[in-house]
Amino acid sequence: MALSVAPRAWLQGGSLSSWLRAAARYLPIAIVVLVWQLVVEFDLVDRAFLPSFSETVRALWEMTRNGEIVVNLLVSLYRALGGLLIGSILGVAIGLAMATSRRADQFFGPLVATTYSLPKTSLVPLFILWFGIGNVTNMLSVVLACLLPVIVSTYHGVKAVPPVIVWSARAMGTPHRLVLWRILLPSASLSIFTGIRIALGFCFVLTISAEMIASRTGIGKLIFFYGESGAYAYMFGGLLAIVIVAYAADRALLAAMHYFLRWHDSIHAAHAGG
Amino acid sequence: MSAPHNDANFGIGTLCMISICVKNLNKRYRARDGDVPALADVNIEVREGEFVTIVGPSGCGKSTLLYILGGFLGADAGTIEVNGKAVTGPGVDRGIVFQEYALFPWLTVAQNIRYGLEMSGTPGRQCAEIVERLVRTIGLQGFEHRFPRELSGGMKQRVAIARTLAYDPKILLLDEPFGALDALTREGMQDELLRLWQATRKTVVMVTHDVNEAVYLSGRVLVMSQRPGRIVQEFPVTIDRAGEREVTVLNDDFNHLRNEVWLAVRRQAGANAGASEAARDA
Repeated sequence: MALSVAPRAWLQGGSLSSWLRAAARYLPIAIVVLVWQLVVEFDLVDRAFLPSFSETVRALWEMTRNGEIVVNLLVSLYRALGGLLIGSILGVAIGLAMATSRRADQFFGPLVATTYSLPKTSLVPLFILWFGIGNVTNMLSVVLACLLPVIVSTYHGVKAVPPVIVWSARAMGTPHRLVLWRILLPSASLSIFTGIRIALGFCFVLTISAEMIASRTGIGKLIFFYGESGAYAYMFGGLLAIVIVAYAADRALLAAMHYFLRWHDSIHAAHAGG
Repeated sequence: MSAPHNDANFGIGTLCMISICVKNLNKRYRARDGDVPALADVNIEVREGEFVTIVGPSGCGKSTLLYILGGFLGADAGTIEVNGKAVTGPGVDRGIVFQEYALFPWLTVAQNIRYGLEMSGTPGRQCAEIVERLVRTIGLQGFEHRFPRELSGGMKQRVAIARTLAYDPKILLLDEPFGALDALTREGMQDELLRLWQATRKTVVMVTHDVNEAVYLSGRVLVMSQRPGRIVQEFPVTIDRAGEREVTVLNDDFNHLRNEVWLAVRRQAGANAGASEAARDA
Protein backbone atom coordinates (compact mmCIF):
# COMPACT_ATOMS: atom_id res chain seq x y z
CA MET A 1 0.00 0.00 0.00
CA ALA A 2 2.60 2.49 1.11
CA LEU A 3 4.84 1.47 -1.74
CA SER A 4 2.19 2.12 -4.36
CA VAL A 5 1.37 5.52 -2.90
CA ALA A 6 4.92 6.77 -2.46
CA PRO A 7 5.97 7.21 -6.11
CA ARG A 8 2.78 9.09 -6.84
CA ALA A 9 3.09 11.38 -3.86
CA TRP A 10 6.10 13.24 -5.19
CA LEU A 11 4.44 13.61 -8.59
CA GLN A 12 1.47 15.46 -7.11
CA GLY A 13 1.32 19.15 -6.28
CA GLY A 14 4.03 21.77 -6.66
CA SER A 15 5.22 23.32 -9.88
CA LEU A 16 8.35 21.21 -10.14
CA SER A 17 6.47 17.92 -9.93
CA SER A 18 3.83 19.04 -12.44
CA TRP A 19 6.67 19.97 -14.76
CA LEU A 20 8.13 16.51 -14.21
CA ARG A 21 4.78 14.92 -14.98
CA ALA A 22 4.58 16.80 -18.28
CA ALA A 23 8.13 15.73 -19.08
CA ALA A 24 7.27 12.13 -18.20
CA ARG A 25 4.74 12.14 -21.06
CA TYR A 26 7.59 12.47 -23.53
CA LEU A 27 9.85 9.98 -21.78
CA PRO A 28 9.03 7.07 -24.11
CA ILE A 29 9.94 9.23 -27.12
CA ALA A 30 13.19 10.29 -25.45
CA ILE A 31 14.04 6.64 -24.79
CA VAL A 32 13.44 5.64 -28.40
CA VAL A 33 15.57 8.55 -29.67
CA LEU A 34 18.33 7.67 -27.21
CA VAL A 35 18.32 3.98 -28.19
CA TRP A 36 18.33 5.03 -31.85
CA GLN A 37 21.37 7.27 -31.30
CA LEU A 38 23.27 4.72 -29.23
CA VAL A 39 22.60 1.80 -31.56
CA VAL A 40 24.20 3.74 -34.41
CA GLU A 41 26.92 5.24 -32.20
CA PHE A 42 28.13 1.82 -31.08
CA ASP A 43 27.90 0.42 -34.63
CA LEU A 44 25.25 -2.15 -33.76
CA VAL A 45 23.64 -1.44 -37.14
CA ASP A 46 25.19 -0.37 -40.42
CA ARG A 47 25.41 3.43 -40.65
CA ALA A 48 24.68 3.17 -44.36
CA PHE A 49 21.20 1.89 -43.60
CA LEU A 50 20.33 3.86 -40.48
CA PRO A 51 21.61 7.39 -39.97
CA SER A 52 21.92 8.46 -36.34
CA PHE A 53 19.45 10.85 -34.75
CA SER A 54 22.00 13.64 -34.67
CA GLU A 55 22.78 13.19 -38.36
CA THR A 56 19.05 13.28 -39.10
CA VAL A 57 18.60 16.50 -37.17
CA ARG A 58 21.60 17.99 -38.94
CA ALA A 59 20.15 17.05 -42.32
CA LEU A 60 16.78 18.50 -41.38
CA TRP A 61 18.45 21.71 -40.24
CA GLU A 62 20.32 21.97 -43.51
CA MET A 63 17.16 21.40 -45.55
CA THR A 64 15.38 24.00 -43.43
CA ARG A 65 18.10 26.55 -44.06
CA ASN A 66 18.22 26.03 -47.80
CA GLY A 67 14.42 26.22 -47.95
CA GLU A 68 13.90 22.73 -49.34
CA ILE A 69 11.78 21.58 -46.39
CA VAL A 70 9.68 24.73 -46.12
CA VAL A 71 8.67 24.77 -49.78
CA ASN A 72 7.74 21.10 -49.86
CA LEU A 73 6.10 21.24 -46.47
CA LEU A 74 3.84 24.06 -47.61
CA VAL A 75 2.83 22.03 -50.67
CA SER A 76 2.10 18.96 -48.53
CA LEU A 77 0.23 20.96 -45.90
CA TYR A 78 -1.87 22.57 -48.59
CA ARG A 79 -2.86 19.17 -49.93
CA ALA A 80 -3.33 17.54 -46.54
CA LEU A 81 -5.29 20.28 -44.81
CA GLY A 82 -7.16 21.30 -47.97
CA GLY A 83 -8.21 17.69 -48.47
CA LEU A 84 -9.13 17.41 -44.80
CA LEU A 85 -11.26 20.55 -44.99
CA ILE A 86 -13.14 19.43 -48.11
CA GLY A 87 -13.49 15.88 -46.81
CA SER A 88 -14.77 17.05 -43.43
CA ILE A 89 -17.35 19.41 -44.90
CA LEU A 90 -18.61 16.74 -47.28
CA GLY A 91 -18.44 14.11 -44.54
CA VAL A 92 -20.49 16.15 -42.09
CA ALA A 93 -23.04 16.94 -44.82
CA ILE A 94 -23.41 13.31 -45.89
CA GLY A 95 -23.42 12.02 -42.30
CA LEU A 96 -26.13 14.53 -41.37
CA ALA A 97 -28.18 13.60 -44.42
CA MET A 98 -27.88 9.89 -43.64
CA ALA A 99 -28.86 10.37 -40.00
CA THR A 100 -31.90 12.50 -40.78
CA SER A 101 -33.21 11.07 -44.03
CA ARG A 102 -34.02 7.44 -44.61
CA ARG A 103 -33.55 7.87 -48.34
CA ALA A 104 -30.05 9.31 -47.94
CA ASP A 105 -29.25 6.48 -45.54
CA GLN A 106 -30.40 3.91 -48.07
CA PHE A 107 -28.30 5.51 -50.78
CA PHE A 108 -25.05 6.25 -48.94
CA GLY A 109 -25.22 3.42 -46.39
CA PRO A 110 -24.10 0.59 -48.69
CA LEU A 111 -21.50 2.85 -50.36
CA VAL A 112 -19.95 3.73 -47.03
CA ALA A 113 -20.04 0.14 -45.79
CA THR A 114 -18.31 -1.26 -48.87
CA THR A 115 -15.64 1.42 -49.23
CA TYR A 116 -14.89 1.85 -45.53
CA SER A 117 -12.11 -0.70 -45.29
CA LEU A 118 -10.75 -0.12 -48.79
CA PRO A 119 -7.22 1.37 -48.58
CA LYS A 120 -7.63 4.69 -50.37
CA THR A 121 -4.02 4.57 -51.59
CA SER A 122 -5.01 1.75 -53.90
CA LEU A 123 -7.05 4.26 -55.88
CA VAL A 124 -4.07 6.52 -56.57
CA PRO A 125 -3.02 4.72 -59.79
CA LEU A 126 -6.56 5.16 -61.07
CA PHE A 127 -6.54 8.86 -60.21
CA ILE A 128 -3.20 9.25 -62.00
CA LEU A 129 -4.84 7.78 -65.07
CA TRP A 130 -7.77 10.22 -64.80
CA PHE A 131 -6.18 13.38 -63.45
CA GLY A 132 -2.46 12.92 -64.07
CA ILE A 133 0.26 13.73 -61.58
CA GLY A 134 -0.33 16.67 -59.27
CA ASN A 135 -2.64 18.36 -56.80
CA VAL A 136 -5.95 16.90 -58.01
CA THR A 137 -4.82 13.30 -57.65
CA ASN A 138 -3.21 14.01 -54.31
CA MET A 139 -6.09 15.91 -52.83
CA LEU A 140 -8.77 13.62 -54.16
CA SER A 141 -7.24 10.65 -52.36
CA VAL A 142 -6.98 12.72 -49.18
CA VAL A 143 -10.61 13.83 -49.48
CA LEU A 144 -11.78 10.26 -49.92
CA ALA A 145 -9.77 9.04 -46.94
CA CYS A 146 -11.04 11.84 -44.69
CA LEU A 147 -14.62 11.51 -45.86
CA LEU A 148 -15.43 8.12 -44.36
CA PRO A 149 -14.45 8.55 -40.69
CA VAL A 150 -16.21 11.92 -40.67
CA ILE A 151 -19.38 10.46 -42.24
CA VAL A 152 -19.48 7.60 -39.76
CA SER A 153 -18.82 9.72 -36.67
CA THR A 154 -21.29 12.41 -37.74
CA TYR A 155 -23.93 9.78 -38.41
CA HIS A 156 -23.52 8.15 -35.01
CA GLY A 157 -23.27 11.50 -33.26
CA VAL A 158 -26.53 12.73 -34.73
CA LYS A 159 -28.28 9.40 -34.14
CA ALA A 160 -27.28 9.61 -30.47
CA VAL A 161 -28.91 13.02 -29.91
CA PRO A 162 -31.56 12.42 -27.21
CA PRO A 163 -35.10 12.86 -28.60
CA VAL A 164 -36.03 15.16 -25.71
CA ILE A 165 -33.41 17.65 -26.89
CA VAL A 166 -35.01 17.81 -30.32
CA TRP A 167 -38.48 17.84 -28.79
CA SER A 168 -37.76 20.75 -26.50
CA ALA A 169 -36.23 22.64 -29.43
CA ARG A 170 -39.37 22.02 -31.46
CA ALA A 171 -41.60 22.99 -28.53
CA MET A 172 -39.70 26.28 -28.29
CA GLY A 173 -40.58 27.04 -31.88
CA THR A 174 -37.49 25.86 -33.77
CA PRO A 175 -38.45 25.29 -37.41
CA HIS A 176 -37.36 21.97 -38.95
CA ARG A 177 -34.63 23.51 -41.09
CA LEU A 178 -33.05 25.18 -38.05
CA VAL A 179 -33.05 21.99 -35.95
CA LEU A 180 -30.12 20.83 -38.05
CA TRP A 181 -27.95 23.89 -37.38
CA ARG A 182 -29.04 24.87 -33.93
CA ILE A 183 -29.54 21.45 -32.35
CA LEU A 184 -28.19 18.41 -34.19
CA LEU A 185 -24.79 19.82 -35.18
CA PRO A 186 -23.82 21.24 -31.77
CA SER A 187 -25.24 18.21 -30.01
CA ALA A 188 -23.17 15.85 -32.17
CA SER A 189 -20.08 18.04 -32.19
CA LEU A 190 -17.93 15.90 -29.90
CA SER A 191 -18.50 12.92 -32.14
CA ILE A 192 -17.88 15.00 -35.27
CA PHE A 193 -14.65 16.42 -33.85
CA THR A 194 -13.48 12.93 -32.97
CA GLY A 195 -14.09 11.84 -36.56
CA ILE A 196 -12.18 14.86 -37.89
CA ARG A 197 -9.32 13.98 -35.57
CA ILE A 198 -9.13 10.49 -37.04
CA ALA A 199 -9.30 12.06 -40.51
CA LEU A 200 -6.44 14.38 -39.59
CA GLY A 201 -4.22 11.36 -39.11
CA PHE A 202 -5.39 9.90 -42.42
CA CYS A 203 -4.82 13.13 -44.32
CA PHE A 204 -1.08 13.06 -43.63
CA VAL A 205 -0.81 9.34 -44.38
CA LEU A 206 -2.56 9.83 -47.70
CA THR A 207 -0.72 13.00 -48.68
CA ILE A 208 2.69 11.46 -48.11
CA SER A 209 1.92 8.14 -49.78
CA ALA A 210 0.17 9.76 -52.75
CA GLU A 211 3.09 12.15 -53.19
CA MET A 212 5.48 9.21 -53.28
CA ILE A 213 3.58 7.73 -56.20
CA ALA A 214 2.12 10.69 -58.00
CA SER A 215 3.85 13.98 -57.44
CA ARG A 216 6.89 16.04 -58.30
CA THR A 217 6.70 18.08 -55.11
CA GLY A 218 5.88 17.69 -51.43
CA ILE A 219 7.47 16.05 -48.42
CA GLY A 220 6.43 12.60 -49.64
CA LYS A 221 8.30 13.15 -52.89
CA LEU A 222 11.28 14.50 -50.95
CA ILE A 223 11.40 11.42 -48.72
CA PHE A 224 11.05 9.14 -51.70
CA PHE A 225 13.72 10.99 -53.69
CA TYR A 226 16.33 10.87 -50.91
CA GLY A 227 15.44 7.26 -50.18
CA GLU A 228 16.00 6.32 -53.81
CA SER A 229 19.32 8.14 -53.97
CA GLY A 230 20.53 6.61 -50.71
CA ALA A 231 20.80 9.88 -48.76
CA TYR A 232 19.14 8.32 -45.74
CA ALA A 233 19.90 11.13 -43.30
CA TYR A 234 17.92 13.48 -45.56
CA MET A 235 15.15 10.93 -46.01
CA PHE A 236 14.90 10.65 -42.23
CA GLY A 237 15.05 14.43 -41.98
CA GLY A 238 11.98 14.68 -44.19
CA LEU A 239 10.22 12.05 -42.10
CA LEU A 240 11.07 13.91 -38.91
CA ALA A 241 9.66 17.12 -40.37
CA ILE A 242 6.32 15.52 -41.21
CA VAL A 243 6.13 13.80 -37.83
CA ILE A 244 6.61 17.15 -36.08
CA VAL A 245 4.05 18.91 -38.27
CA ALA A 246 1.44 16.15 -37.97
CA TYR A 247 1.89 16.06 -34.21
CA ALA A 248 1.54 19.85 -33.97
CA ALA A 249 -1.60 19.73 -36.13
CA ASP A 250 -3.15 17.09 -33.88
CA ARG A 251 -2.32 19.12 -30.77
CA ALA A 252 -3.83 22.21 -32.36
CA LEU A 253 -7.03 20.34 -33.22
CA LEU A 254 -7.18 18.95 -29.70
CA ALA A 255 -6.79 22.44 -28.27
CA ALA A 256 -9.58 23.70 -30.54
CA MET A 257 -11.76 20.79 -29.46
CA HIS A 258 -11.04 21.57 -25.85
CA TYR A 259 -12.09 25.15 -26.33
CA PHE A 260 -15.19 24.63 -28.45
CA LEU A 261 -16.43 21.67 -26.41
CA ARG A 262 -15.68 23.12 -22.99
CA TRP A 263 -19.37 22.72 -22.21
CA HIS A 264 -19.19 18.95 -22.72
CA ASP A 265 -19.17 16.52 -19.81
CA SER A 266 -16.68 14.15 -21.32
CA ILE A 267 -14.25 16.57 -22.94
CA HIS A 268 -11.66 15.67 -20.33
CA ALA A 269 -12.10 11.99 -21.09
CA ALA A 270 -11.74 12.78 -24.80
CA HIS A 271 -8.55 14.67 -24.03
CA ALA A 272 -7.00 11.66 -22.33
CA GLY A 273 -7.06 9.84 -25.67
CA GLY A 274 -4.21 11.88 -27.03
CA MET B 1 -56.70 35.39 -28.97
CA SER B 2 -60.12 37.03 -28.91
CA ALA B 3 -59.36 39.45 -26.16
CA PRO B 4 -62.32 41.83 -26.48
CA HIS B 5 -64.75 38.94 -26.36
CA ASN B 6 -63.11 37.56 -23.24
CA ASP B 7 -63.17 40.92 -21.52
CA ALA B 8 -66.88 41.24 -22.11
CA ASN B 9 -67.73 38.15 -20.08
CA PHE B 10 -64.85 37.64 -17.69
CA GLY B 11 -65.66 35.80 -14.50
CA ILE B 12 -67.79 32.72 -15.05
CA GLY B 13 -67.22 32.85 -18.80
CA THR B 14 -63.44 32.65 -18.65
CA LEU B 15 -63.52 30.06 -15.88
CA CYS B 16 -65.33 27.66 -18.14
CA MET B 17 -62.99 28.07 -21.11
CA ILE B 18 -61.70 24.66 -22.11
CA SER B 19 -57.98 24.73 -22.73
CA ILE B 20 -57.26 21.09 -23.48
CA CYS B 21 -59.80 18.58 -24.71
CA VAL B 22 -58.84 14.95 -25.29
CA LYS B 23 -61.46 12.55 -26.62
CA ASN B 24 -61.22 8.77 -27.04
CA LEU B 25 -57.46 8.87 -27.35
CA ASN B 26 -55.81 5.57 -28.25
CA LYS B 27 -52.13 4.93 -28.69
CA ARG B 28 -50.15 1.79 -29.47
CA TYR B 29 -46.43 1.26 -29.54
CA ARG B 30 -45.00 -0.89 -32.29
CA ALA B 31 -42.79 -3.57 -30.86
CA ARG B 32 -41.03 -6.50 -32.49
CA ASP B 33 -43.60 -9.00 -31.24
CA GLY B 34 -46.69 -7.02 -32.21
CA ASP B 35 -48.27 -3.81 -30.98
CA VAL B 36 -48.33 -2.84 -27.33
CA PRO B 37 -51.35 -0.77 -26.31
CA ALA B 38 -50.15 2.25 -24.34
CA LEU B 39 -53.30 4.33 -23.93
CA ALA B 40 -56.91 3.21 -24.23
CA ASP B 41 -59.87 5.55 -24.55
CA VAL B 42 -58.45 8.46 -22.62
CA ASN B 43 -60.82 11.38 -22.13
CA ILE B 44 -59.63 14.54 -20.44
CA GLU B 45 -60.81 18.11 -20.24
CA VAL B 46 -58.67 20.81 -18.71
CA ARG B 47 -60.06 24.26 -18.11
CA GLU B 48 -58.00 27.36 -18.70
CA GLY B 49 -55.88 28.21 -15.67
CA GLU B 50 -56.40 24.80 -14.12
CA PHE B 51 -53.60 22.73 -12.57
CA VAL B 52 -54.23 19.08 -13.34
CA THR B 53 -51.98 16.23 -12.31
CA ILE B 54 -51.99 12.73 -13.72
CA VAL B 55 -50.70 10.03 -11.39
CA GLY B 56 -50.36 6.34 -12.03
CA PRO B 57 -48.07 3.36 -11.70
CA SER B 58 -44.84 3.56 -13.66
CA GLY B 59 -45.16 2.44 -17.27
CA CYS B 60 -48.88 3.26 -17.40
CA GLY B 61 -48.47 5.61 -20.34
CA LYS B 62 -48.85 8.92 -18.51
CA SER B 63 -45.69 10.36 -20.06
CA THR B 64 -46.88 9.14 -23.46
CA LEU B 65 -50.09 11.08 -22.92
CA LEU B 66 -48.07 14.22 -22.16
CA TYR B 67 -45.90 13.74 -25.26
CA ILE B 68 -49.05 13.42 -27.37
CA LEU B 69 -50.37 16.67 -25.84
CA GLY B 70 -47.01 18.24 -26.65
CA GLY B 71 -47.37 17.11 -30.25
CA PHE B 72 -44.19 15.02 -30.20
CA LEU B 73 -46.02 11.75 -30.70
CA GLY B 74 -49.07 11.10 -32.81
CA ALA B 75 -52.22 9.39 -31.57
CA ASP B 76 -53.63 6.30 -33.30
CA ALA B 77 -57.23 7.32 -32.69
CA GLY B 78 -59.14 10.11 -30.99
CA THR B 79 -59.00 13.87 -31.03
CA ILE B 80 -56.72 16.22 -29.13
CA GLU B 81 -57.65 19.86 -29.15
CA VAL B 82 -55.82 22.73 -27.55
CA ASN B 83 -57.71 26.01 -27.38
CA GLY B 84 -60.14 24.65 -29.94
CA LYS B 85 -57.47 23.67 -32.45
CA ALA B 86 -56.43 20.12 -33.26
CA VAL B 87 -52.87 19.30 -32.24
CA THR B 88 -50.75 18.39 -35.26
CA GLY B 89 -47.27 18.95 -33.84
CA PRO B 90 -45.28 20.85 -31.25
CA GLY B 91 -46.27 24.47 -30.73
CA VAL B 92 -45.16 27.43 -28.66
CA ASP B 93 -48.58 27.55 -26.99
CA ARG B 94 -47.50 24.46 -25.02
CA GLY B 95 -44.26 24.65 -23.07
CA ILE B 96 -42.80 21.41 -21.79
CA VAL B 97 -40.43 20.59 -18.94
CA PHE B 98 -38.84 17.16 -18.95
CA GLN B 99 -37.67 15.10 -16.01
CA GLU B 100 -34.16 14.96 -17.44
CA TYR B 101 -34.22 18.75 -18.03
CA ALA B 102 -33.26 18.49 -21.73
CA LEU B 103 -31.31 21.73 -21.50
CA PHE B 104 -29.01 22.45 -24.41
CA PRO B 105 -25.63 21.56 -22.88
CA TRP B 106 -23.67 23.70 -25.37
CA LEU B 107 -25.51 26.88 -24.33
CA THR B 108 -25.01 28.80 -21.11
CA VAL B 109 -27.80 29.39 -18.60
CA ALA B 110 -28.62 32.76 -20.16
CA GLN B 111 -28.47 31.39 -23.71
CA ASN B 112 -30.74 28.48 -22.78
CA ILE B 113 -33.36 30.84 -21.35
CA ARG B 114 -32.96 33.14 -24.34
CA TYR B 115 -33.36 30.38 -26.92
CA GLY B 116 -37.17 30.36 -27.18
CA LEU B 117 -37.24 34.15 -27.34
CA GLU B 118 -34.78 34.14 -30.23
CA MET B 119 -36.92 31.63 -32.08
CA SER B 120 -39.97 33.84 -31.66
CA GLY B 121 -38.02 36.81 -33.04
CA THR B 122 -38.18 38.89 -29.88
CA PRO B 123 -35.93 41.96 -30.21
CA GLY B 124 -32.54 41.75 -28.47
CA ARG B 125 -33.17 44.39 -25.83
CA GLN B 126 -36.40 42.76 -24.74
CA CYS B 127 -34.72 39.32 -24.71
CA ALA B 128 -32.05 40.59 -22.36
CA GLU B 129 -34.64 42.08 -20.02
CA ILE B 130 -36.71 38.90 -19.85
CA VAL B 131 -33.62 36.74 -19.34
CA GLU B 132 -32.41 39.01 -16.56
CA ARG B 133 -35.78 38.95 -14.82
CA LEU B 134 -36.07 35.16 -15.05
CA VAL B 135 -32.52 34.59 -13.83
CA ARG B 136 -33.44 36.68 -10.81
CA THR B 137 -36.72 34.79 -10.35
CA ILE B 138 -34.95 31.44 -10.23
CA GLY B 139 -32.17 32.86 -8.05
CA LEU B 140 -29.32 32.04 -10.40
CA GLN B 141 -27.66 35.46 -10.54
CA GLY B 142 -23.96 34.97 -11.12
CA PHE B 143 -24.58 31.69 -12.96
CA GLU B 144 -25.75 33.25 -16.23
CA HIS B 145 -22.61 32.24 -18.09
CA ARG B 146 -22.24 28.77 -16.64
CA PHE B 147 -22.91 25.70 -18.74
CA PRO B 148 -25.52 23.17 -17.59
CA ARG B 149 -22.86 20.63 -16.64
CA GLU B 150 -21.65 23.05 -13.97
CA LEU B 151 -25.08 23.18 -12.29
CA SER B 152 -26.74 20.97 -9.69
CA GLY B 153 -29.92 19.05 -10.55
CA GLY B 154 -32.13 21.61 -8.84
CA MET B 155 -30.47 24.49 -10.66
CA LYS B 156 -30.82 22.72 -14.00
CA GLN B 157 -34.51 22.18 -13.41
CA ARG B 158 -34.95 25.85 -12.51
CA VAL B 159 -33.30 26.79 -15.80
CA ALA B 160 -35.52 24.32 -17.65
CA ILE B 161 -38.62 25.91 -16.15
CA ALA B 162 -37.31 29.44 -16.74
CA ARG B 163 -36.56 28.82 -20.40
CA THR B 164 -40.09 27.50 -20.86
CA LEU B 165 -41.60 30.50 -19.07
CA ALA B 166 -39.44 32.88 -21.12
CA TYR B 167 -41.57 32.69 -24.26
CA ASP B 168 -44.74 32.69 -22.20
CA PRO B 169 -46.69 29.63 -23.37
CA LYS B 170 -50.34 29.42 -22.33
CA ILE B 171 -49.98 25.82 -21.22
CA LEU B 172 -47.25 24.14 -19.20
CA LEU B 173 -46.71 20.41 -19.62
CA LEU B 174 -44.57 19.00 -16.81
CA ASP B 175 -43.19 15.48 -17.16
CA GLU B 176 -42.14 14.38 -13.66
CA PRO B 177 -40.28 17.66 -13.37
CA PHE B 178 -38.90 17.02 -9.89
CA GLY B 179 -38.41 13.28 -10.14
CA ALA B 180 -34.63 13.44 -10.30
CA LEU B 181 -34.21 15.79 -7.32
CA ASP B 182 -33.54 14.99 -3.68
CA ALA B 183 -36.49 15.30 -1.27
CA LEU B 184 -35.62 18.72 0.16
CA THR B 185 -34.85 20.34 -3.18
CA ARG B 186 -38.02 18.81 -4.58
CA GLU B 187 -40.16 20.41 -1.86
CA GLY B 188 -38.54 23.78 -2.44
CA MET B 189 -39.15 23.50 -6.18
CA GLN B 190 -42.78 22.48 -5.60
CA ASP B 191 -43.35 25.58 -3.52
CA GLU B 192 -41.73 27.72 -6.21
CA LEU B 193 -43.95 26.14 -8.85
CA LEU B 194 -47.03 26.69 -6.71
CA ARG B 195 -46.20 30.38 -6.23
CA LEU B 196 -45.51 30.69 -9.91
CA TRP B 197 -48.81 29.12 -10.87
CA GLN B 198 -50.70 31.28 -8.38
CA ALA B 199 -49.05 34.35 -9.89
CA THR B 200 -49.51 33.48 -13.58
CA ARG B 201 -52.54 31.13 -13.54
CA LYS B 202 -51.24 29.22 -16.52
CA THR B 203 -52.90 25.97 -17.48
CA VAL B 204 -50.71 23.19 -16.12
CA VAL B 205 -50.78 19.49 -16.86
CA MET B 206 -48.29 17.59 -14.74
CA VAL B 207 -47.39 13.93 -14.75
CA THR B 208 -45.91 12.38 -11.63
CA HIS B 209 -45.83 9.22 -9.57
CA ASP B 210 -45.52 11.22 -6.37
CA VAL B 211 -49.03 11.30 -4.84
CA ASN B 212 -47.98 13.85 -2.22
CA GLU B 213 -46.77 16.20 -4.93
CA ALA B 214 -49.94 15.73 -6.96
CA VAL B 215 -52.28 16.60 -4.11
CA TYR B 216 -50.08 19.41 -2.80
CA LEU B 217 -49.90 21.21 -6.13
CA SER B 218 -52.94 20.55 -8.25
CA GLY B 219 -56.58 21.45 -8.38
CA ARG B 220 -57.53 18.06 -9.76
CA VAL B 221 -55.79 14.69 -9.66
CA LEU B 222 -56.48 12.07 -12.31
CA VAL B 223 -55.50 8.48 -11.59
CA MET B 224 -54.41 6.31 -14.48
CA SER B 225 -54.63 2.54 -14.70
CA GLN B 226 -51.88 0.13 -15.57
CA ARG B 227 -51.04 -0.17 -19.26
CA PRO B 228 -52.99 0.34 -21.42
CA GLY B 229 -53.51 3.56 -19.50
CA ARG B 230 -56.98 4.99 -19.02
CA ILE B 231 -58.28 7.52 -16.52
CA VAL B 232 -59.95 5.47 -13.82
CA GLN B 233 -60.56 7.99 -11.05
CA GLU B 234 -60.73 11.71 -10.54
CA PHE B 235 -60.16 13.65 -7.32
CA PRO B 236 -60.97 17.35 -7.10
CA VAL B 237 -58.59 18.98 -4.63
CA THR B 238 -60.13 21.69 -2.49
CA ILE B 239 -57.54 22.06 0.24
CA ASP B 240 -56.58 25.47 1.58
CA ARG B 241 -53.17 26.53 0.28
CA ALA B 242 -53.08 29.99 1.78
CA GLY B 243 -50.57 29.10 4.51
CA GLU B 244 -47.09 27.67 4.62
CA ARG B 245 -46.26 24.19 3.44
CA GLU B 246 -46.37 22.82 7.01
CA VAL B 247 -49.87 24.13 7.53
CA THR B 248 -51.13 22.59 4.31
CA VAL B 249 -49.42 19.25 4.66
CA LEU B 250 -50.33 18.71 8.33
CA ASN B 251 -53.97 19.48 7.61
CA ASP B 252 -56.43 16.59 7.97
CA ASP B 253 -58.16 17.34 4.66
CA PHE B 254 -54.86 17.10 2.86
CA ASN B 255 -53.91 13.84 4.49
CA HIS B 256 -57.30 12.30 3.99
CA LEU B 257 -57.27 13.11 0.29
CA ARG B 258 -53.66 12.05 -0.16
CA ASN B 259 -54.43 8.67 1.42
CA GLU B 260 -57.40 8.21 -0.86
CA VAL B 261 -55.38 9.00 -3.98
CA TRP B 262 -52.54 6.83 -2.74
CA LEU B 263 -54.92 3.89 -2.27
CA ALA B 264 -56.38 4.44 -5.73
CA VAL B 265 -52.92 4.39 -7.34
CA ARG B 266 -51.93 1.39 -5.25
CA ARG B 267 -55.00 -0.49 -6.37
CA GLN B 268 -53.92 0.11 -9.97
CA ALA B 269 -50.37 -1.06 -9.32
CA GLY B 270 -51.69 -4.02 -7.33
CA ALA B 271 -54.18 -4.96 -10.05
CA ASN B 272 -51.33 -5.55 -12.42
CA ALA B 273 -49.17 -7.40 -9.89
CA GLY B 274 -52.11 -9.75 -9.29
CA ALA B 275 -52.63 -10.19 -13.02
CA SER B 276 -49.01 -11.03 -13.72
CA GLU B 277 -49.01 -13.51 -10.83
CA ALA B 278 -52.07 -15.16 -12.29
CA ALA B 279 -50.33 -15.30 -15.66
CA ARG B 280 -47.32 -16.95 -14.10
CA ASP B 281 -49.50 -19.55 -12.36
CA ALA B 282 -51.35 -20.41 -15.55
